[in-house]
Amino acid sequence: MDLATLEALRSPAGVPSHPLIFLGLGVLTWALHIIAVYVVVGGGLLSLYGLMQRGHDHWQRLSAMLLDHAKIGVSIAIVVGVAPLLFVQVIYDPFWYVSNVLSARWAIGFIVFLLLGYWALWLHYGQVRRAGGSASPSWLIVALLLILLVGFIMHVLSMQMLSPQEWLNWYAPGGHIDASGSHIHDYSLPRWLFIVGLAVPVGGAWLMACRQYLAGRDGEDAGYLAFLGALGRKLALWGGLVSLVMLAAWMASLPAAAAGFALSPWTLAVAATLMLLALLTWKAPDGAGYYMPVLALLAALALGALREAYRYAVLHGGFGYDFMNYKIVMDWYSTILFFATFLVVGGIPLAFMLSLSWQAGRSRGVYTASPLIAKLGVASVVVALLWVVQYFAFGAFVLVR
Amino acid sequence: MELLGMYPTWYDPTLGSGWVLGVIAVIHVLASHTSVGAALVFAWLATVAYRRQRPELLEYVRRYGVVLLVFSYVLGSITGPGIWFSATVASPRGISALIHSYVWVWATEWVFFVGEVVGIYALVYLANKVDQKTHLNLVRFFAIASWATMLIIVGILSFMMWPGQPAWYDQGGTLNGFYGPYTFGQVITRTAFMLMCAAVVGGIVASRIADADFRNEMARKLAVLGIVAAVVAFLGLQWTLGTLPEHAREVMAVRLPAWFVTSLWATFGGIIAYFALTFLVPRVLSPWLSVAAAVAVMVFGIWPEETARESMRKPWVAGQYVYSNQVIGRDVPALGVQSDLPALQARGMLASHPFVPEGLRQVTAANQAEAGHALALIYCSNCHNLGASGIRPLGNLTAGMDEAGLAGFISGALATGAMPHMPHMPMSDAEAGALAHFLKR
Repeated sequence: MDLATLEALRSPAGVPSHPLIFLGLGVLTWALHIIAVYVVVGGGLLSLYGLMQRGHDHWQRLSAMLLDHAKIGVSIAIVVGVAPLLFVQVIYDPFWYVSNVLSARWAIGFIVFLLLGYWALWLHYGQVRRAGGSASPSWLIVALLLILLVGFIMHVLSMQMLSPQEWLNWYAPGGHIDASGSHIHDYSLPRWLFIVGLAVPVGGAWLMACRQYLAGRDGEDAGYLAFLGALGRKLALWGGLVSLVMLAAWMASLPAAAAGFALSPWTLAVAATLMLLALLTWKAPDGAGYYMPVLALLAALALGALREAYRYAVLHGGFGYDFMNYKIVMDWYSTILFFATFLVVGGIPLAFMLSLSWQAGRSRGVYTASPLIAKLGVASVVVALLWVVQYFAFGAFVLVR
Repeated sequence: MELLGMYPTWYDPTLGSGWVLGVIAVIHVLASHTSVGAALVFAWLATVAYRRQRPELLEYVRRYGVVLLVFSYVLGSITGPGIWFSATVASPRGISALIHSYVWVWATEWVFFVGEVVGIYALVYLANKVDQKTHLNLVRFFAIASWATMLIIVGILSFMMWPGQPAWYDQGGTLNGFYGPYTFGQVITRTAFMLMCAAVVGGIVASRIADADFRNEMARKLAVLGIVAAVVAFLGLQWTLGTLPEHAREVMAVRLPAWFVTSLWATFGGIIAYFALTFLVPRVLSPWLSVAAAVAVMVFGIWPEETARESMRKPWVAGQYVYSNQVIGRDVPALGVQSDLPALQARGMLASHPFVPEGLRQVTAANQAEAGHALALIYCSNCHNLGASGIRPLGNLTAGMDEAGLAGFISGALATGAMPHMPHMPMSDAEAGALAHFLKR
């Protein structure tokens, strides 16, 4: 597939803002998405292990807590994951669409498996509510396997994007069209295992934050807090070190044309943030628990940037494709609409709901909102209403002019 | 040689890619419409609960919220991206056209979607754990954010059928494409339909209330809401249909079966009868009856509505400039988009498509059937099954013609764009012959 054809596959409608903006938002939202995924996978695996430790109170309590987090984490991972899915098809549409069509059944399977996996998690949650620590782990195992499978499908779709030279062979092997979309054509186990394996150190960082949150509650069990802290440190340290080895394995597996990427600043940044996460979580005082997920986010951002840099290196270096020269058909209204909504209608209500949940979760009995949180609550309703007013105002303007 | 921006084709001979998309979309519509409608109902009930000191209403909201979390939000939030995935594999250039013109609007919807998901968890987990005023603001924000997701998607779906203003083709701009004569009719229709869905699904929760008096009260409340919402939705639909372009009404008349209008009235009557029953005899409300009603709404309400909507825009798939078969069929000067038709008329599809194997670029006696297969995949498979079964099967549609007659029909009617509800499909005589040969082999 030559450059002219790749560029012909782009949308002739162009993009409504500079392509770099979509790339930046893609990295940011992917990092947030993958952190939620790590809470699901790391928390789910720990919850499974904890459930098996019958008679061990701390493990049982941890299992129930992380199951709750995993359940909410799937929702957050899905909703946040929509954004990078949107942005990737804006600037890399030829690659994303071809990859999906070539494995169409798997792309559709992604939806079905995710649905079944999420429901399996809910089924397990229901069992735990009824039977407590004696609940069977079967549905949790099913849920985790399905969630790992959908992660693998997403990995395959991303990998297939990087080999335009193979597309026609995959679509028409031997010159005969196979439109079934039933095959998986490319994957990299080292890359997938590295990205999934990060769930362990990030899970450790998450436990450190949980420990600090619970420590703020009156009368919290000191033994449980110590258990959480020790486990979190251990997971972050050993998980971080193993992840570094897996990063090296991924880099060692790169094709010869991209081998130089192994020592690029992008790769070194991921290694550095991972070491920082492992060592600081291991050595930092208990009171610094909240900083650990921030470090995890830093590592995820570095990884998100690495993924994009690698994609750019392969597609630009190998095929001359440069998303930066995508035709821009500037649309100011929708650009301003998004950023205003993102910052104001997104920022204020999220600040309201998260701070309210945070405070209420640490309080015994009914929590009465502080003046600031109460004002945020009113402001959330007002900005959302103003957004609706602008919707109808612009609509009326367009229709009557 | 310069190639067009055509993508490979995914063909599923059992369901067809269009139906895969349709099934996912119908499930999504029920889940998402119920969620949005329920969010509005929550705001109403929570307000009443706090003003009249009725904690049982709040408990009903909380329980309904849990049901939404387990079913509507799981189904809705996964089938939402599911529509993207299925549209991507069924119609990559169609979804690309929507995404590239409306990415920021979709991203705006995403902001509300995030607020909605965080909101439903906060609403359920914080019920009775935070002060009343704060909880009420939470519920109200949740309701507005949920409704906003619907307001946004209405505009994008409207554009998908027809850009709101004819000026969009020459001037471009989100606003010109987003708002049209049918936008607000759709807003009213969908809002009312969502409230009706919420009333149906709310019956599942109401039927589990232990206190008989309260259960009856909720059954009646939901019944009144359901009847009013159904009537408004029906009237809104009439208004919306009246604002559609003439071409859409002609295509509907051609493509929809004669019993469609009758079935619409029957569905409306069935909904009214269901709610009248639960109002007059609220004790009949049971989880199974409510589930059956929800499934009936999906099968007899949403599926025909989606079918009609999809029929109206034929033969286009996006913005009346991308055909269902991915060919760009008209210029959009504002965006610099050029029709593929002149290039196809000059060179034919096989020579212009980047995913046609080299051995099929020229039709020969040896490759005629395989070249015809490639053409059928590209030009036909988005809407038709290529065999004798499945969706609009070409085997049946062409049964009365021999190979030469079919080749003549393809060259005379399809390749010239003479059929208004079919895409214009330029083909050389050799290509028309190959397609006919494949279909009649």
